[in-house]
Amino acid sequence: MLALITPLIKKNRYAFIKLILALSMVLSGCVNIAPWERGNLAKPQMELDPHPLQSELQSHNYSSREAAPSHKSSSGGGGCGCY
Amino acid sequence: MQQSSTSQCQNNRHELDNLEAPSSVKARSALQALTSAALVLPGLLMSSGHAAGTDRINFQYSRYQEGERNLFGVPQSLKPITADVLYGSGNFSLTDRTKFSFGYTQDTWSGATPIAISPLVANGNRPILSNTESGVVIVGASPIINSQILLDRELNPIRRDPQSGQLSGTDSRSVMVMSSASPETRRQANFGLSHEWNEAAINIGGGFSRERDYKSSYGNIGGRLDFNQKLTTVKFGGGYTHSDIGAILDHDASPYITKTAFSQQIISRGGSEILQGNRQDWAANVGLTQVLTKSALIDANIGYTHSSGFMENPYKVVSVIFIDPTALNTNQTTPIAGDLRALIEQRPDIRNQVAINTKYIQHISAFDAALHLGYRLSVDDWGINTHTFDASWVQPLGNDWTVTPRIRYYSQDAASFYRPYLFSQQTYRRNEFDSLGRQIWVDVNNPNIQYFRDSNFNLFDQSGNLVNEAFLNIQPKITSFDAGKLPDNFSSDHRLAGFGALSGGVVLSKILGKGVALEAGFEYYTRASSMQLGSGGGNSFADFDYYVANAALKLDMESTNPSLPTGNSSHTHQDSIRHYQHQFPPAGVMFGHMLNKPGDFMVGYRFMLGRSDGSMMHGAHKVSDQTVVDQGCSEAIPCRFTPAYMNMRMHMLDIMYAPTKWLNVMLMPTFMDMDMNLRRLAGAPPAAPGVHEHRGIAGHETGAVSDTYISSLIKLIDIPGHRVHMNLGLSAPTGKVDIELRRIAQVDGGLIHFGMQLGSGTWDFLPSLTYLGGRSRWSWGAQLSGVKRMEEKNKSGYRLGDIFQATTWGGFDLTRWLAASVRGAYTIQGAIHRDFDSFNAHIGPMDFPANYGGQFWDIGLGLNAVIPSGRFAGNRFGFEWIQPLRNDFNGFQLDRKGALSATWSYQF
Repeated sequence: MLALITPLIKKNRYAFIKLILALSMVLSGCVNIAPWERGNLAKPQMELDPHPLQSELQSHNYSSREAAPSHKSSSGGGGCGCY
Repeated sequence: MQQSSTSQCQNNRHELDNLEAPSSVKARSALQALTSAALVLPGLLMSSGHAAGTDRINFQYSRYQEGERNLFGVPQSLKPITADVLYGSGNFSLTDRTKFSFGYTQDTWSGATPIAISPLVANGNRPILSNTESGVVIVGASPIINSQILLDRELNPIRRDPQSGQLSGTDSRSVMVMSSASPETRRQANFGLSHEWNEAAINIGGGFSRERDYKSSYGNIGGRLDFNQKLTTVKFGGGYTHSDIGAILDHDASPYITKTAFSQQIISRGGSEILQGNRQDWAANVGLTQVLTKSALIDANIGYTHSSGFMENPYKVVSVIFIDPTALNTNQTTPIAGDLRALIEQRPDIRNQVAINTKYIQHISAFDAALHLGYRLSVDDWGINTHTFDASWVQPLGNDWTVTPRIRYYSQDAASFYRPYLFSQQTYRRNEFDSLGRQIWVDVNNPNIQYFRDSNFNLFDQSGNLVNEAFLNIQPKITSFDAGKLPDNFSSDHRLAGFGALSGGVVLSKILGKGVALEAGFEYYTRASSMQLGSGGGNSFADFDYYVANAALKLDMESTNPSLPTGNSSHTHQDSIRHYQHQFPPAGVMFGHMLNKPGDFMVGYRFMLGRSDGSMMHGAHKVSDQTVVDQGCSEAIPCRFTPAYMNMRMHMLDIMYAPTKWLNVMLMPTFMDMDMNLRRLAGAPPAAPGVHEHRGIAGHETGAVSDTYISSLIKLIDIPGHRVHMNLGLSAPTGKVDIELRRIAQVDGGLIHFGMQLGSGTWDFLPSLTYLGGRSRWSWGAQLSGVKRMEEKNKSGYRLGDIFQATTWGGFDLTRWLAASVRGAYTIQGAIHRDFDSFNAHIGPMDFPANYGGQFWDIGLGLNAVIPSGRFAGNRFGFEWIQPLRNDFNGFQLDRKGALSATWSYQF
């Protein structure tokens, strides 16, 4: 599967970004929520990550026990996790 | 006062914004609504990775505890893995739009870790027997990674009864071979800087992680762009990590590990073999957050990671069963001998990973709750595809409580090169014979010339001349296995196996008011190969579970008002700050400050670093190694080792509250970590059999929760310029006093030295009496304090000595916010009473109770600063260096080299 995806992304990196941008334009075109209608969205429980301390910890534990790339892989971070 | 003027400024700014709006009333009201909505939406659509949000400080402690692995009946004497993690972070506004963030993590882990997988019939976890009063009992397991096993013609392992030697059929089960480790500590620090525009943000960050065998440095950059009135956000980021590996190979296991594939990367230093390598990780991601409706949003991103270099786990070996091909090629039905060897695992040098994350968040109005649903797919060129599904329900309850239950399912495929163990149809090592069938012998120093022996064991060269071997080093010519016949890559790390995992947990948080929030989380995780998506597993021997419990204190500094004195008619603001400063003793003095106003809170952090180094001392004088050997331990056991250096670091959280003007209560959880290295004493006798022998260059580390202090401070006198208060405190024995060194080669490490245990182990009484005085730019004070152990012994059988300290200081205000101090301190501490009641190796003076305590005369030089105004007003910092002037040690001890105290506190 990766053999398919990686070259695809590598070859079409800009196209891919354009796709995301285009998608965002399209999506945003569909939605129109007035500022005074955003009460629910502004609530703490609606945050993308309502408990960042917890997710950081979970991510650290999962990445020392599982082979998937770390959720925080782009922000870096070290450690062998050799145990 | 400062606060109100700041908010006044903000109001003015908003009015200005509004003035710039079109004059039409309708447009103006729309803009006002927009402005106010923007004000209530500060962190919306922003990932936590951005250094955004309010100014805050977080402290978190977590404990990871793994369950026991399945060893198929071998009794478990090795403790499962535990990790204690301390985390602190802060987020500060430098300007309205620029924020600085930092974080510090420290984790110490210990316990039994798998080093290999082997057929169960190989008895990899060999029981260790011990004679006790109730007969011979199994006290533990020792890893055996080289052995001879029997296989049937289909290469199925055959079980043989260890006593009778009788064969009892095939047994295809595998088992993980476990090895224990002494505690090890990793530290990580990171920082970030971010800048916000109205519809965009950029952030940069970096950091490093240090542990004895693995050092990483990393940097990252990212940003976001908002569109469509912030309903759409595009995020992007990239990062680079460089890691250097210097793995100290296990001194005991190393002779049994085949390392030929890494011989170029192994160096020898100080009696240890070190496997060196480095790796690079590049990562990039791009994502999108889109508000879908008034109560739903979606987040999606894709990330790509490219890794190259040394990606092996240097401590993991793969069992390779070598079979002589000639034995296979006969038409016999008898069992075949398998030569089981341990080779360091070999992973590819390149890895590419792609991960796609999606998250959907829906507000459920009936409960005012939020449902978070996530799915994640990752694929890589090692053949590991993963799926993660998770769901959580964030439910606000009344009174500022929030409860969040969460469930997660994860499944991964095995890496293409994952094997529990391998077969190789060749001999591991064999003697060479020439074409005539004669065994070949060679001179080690000149291996190209071949020799032979006759039936009388006489040595001949190729021409048949008799050779005098007195001056040669003659050995049989041996050929090792051909690595080319093995796969290029192989690993039996169970993290690269196929499996599924189910976990669930709950997070509970409560806002206490005044910007203080508490958070606690618990998660239970179970891994089973049978839970792998689309596969029956087959690796159930690697199944395990763990739980993680954590607690966090979060301080939101924007919703607190610093409790700084304000100017009034009789005092200028400057005088008030000065009086405030005079209420704080130097940083090294504990329990020296009281809150004034009922209802006030103080949160603080205190760090202490103490170092011992240099010469061994007896009383007040240096002593030679020979004296330590002869007198430092006991008459029966001479000392063989002595500390080369020792560092002690203590992290304390101060939480203080004033229920009344004259009474303060205080809670201080502490976290301690230590590292020590030993050296062999000159003139030390050789090791006694069965005793822990310190070898190689690696030192010892410990770290976890230490004792917890609970205190009440009572104000006795408070007149202008003079204050006296008393502290009545208790220390609860929450620090461990039974930390053990790892078992090495069937020799018990025993309990680690007294000074490396993390607490006192007893309930202790901590009284103190403090006087603080001040006049104009001068301040002064004194404190008498003590520690009285209230129990006869702790659970390991000993009791630390009592402590008494007298200290006095004088200070001078350099500026209105900065004061310098000089302090003198006299401390007397008793020796340790009793001794460990279970095994300790007694290898040096640090293992003998009489070599603790003494009388110490120290001078302290300190600085105290308070930030008087501006956005950080009310933050207070203190530093003090404590320099020993004279030490009079009990018995034989390593010299003290001084200590640093640093404090931060915030009162509100």
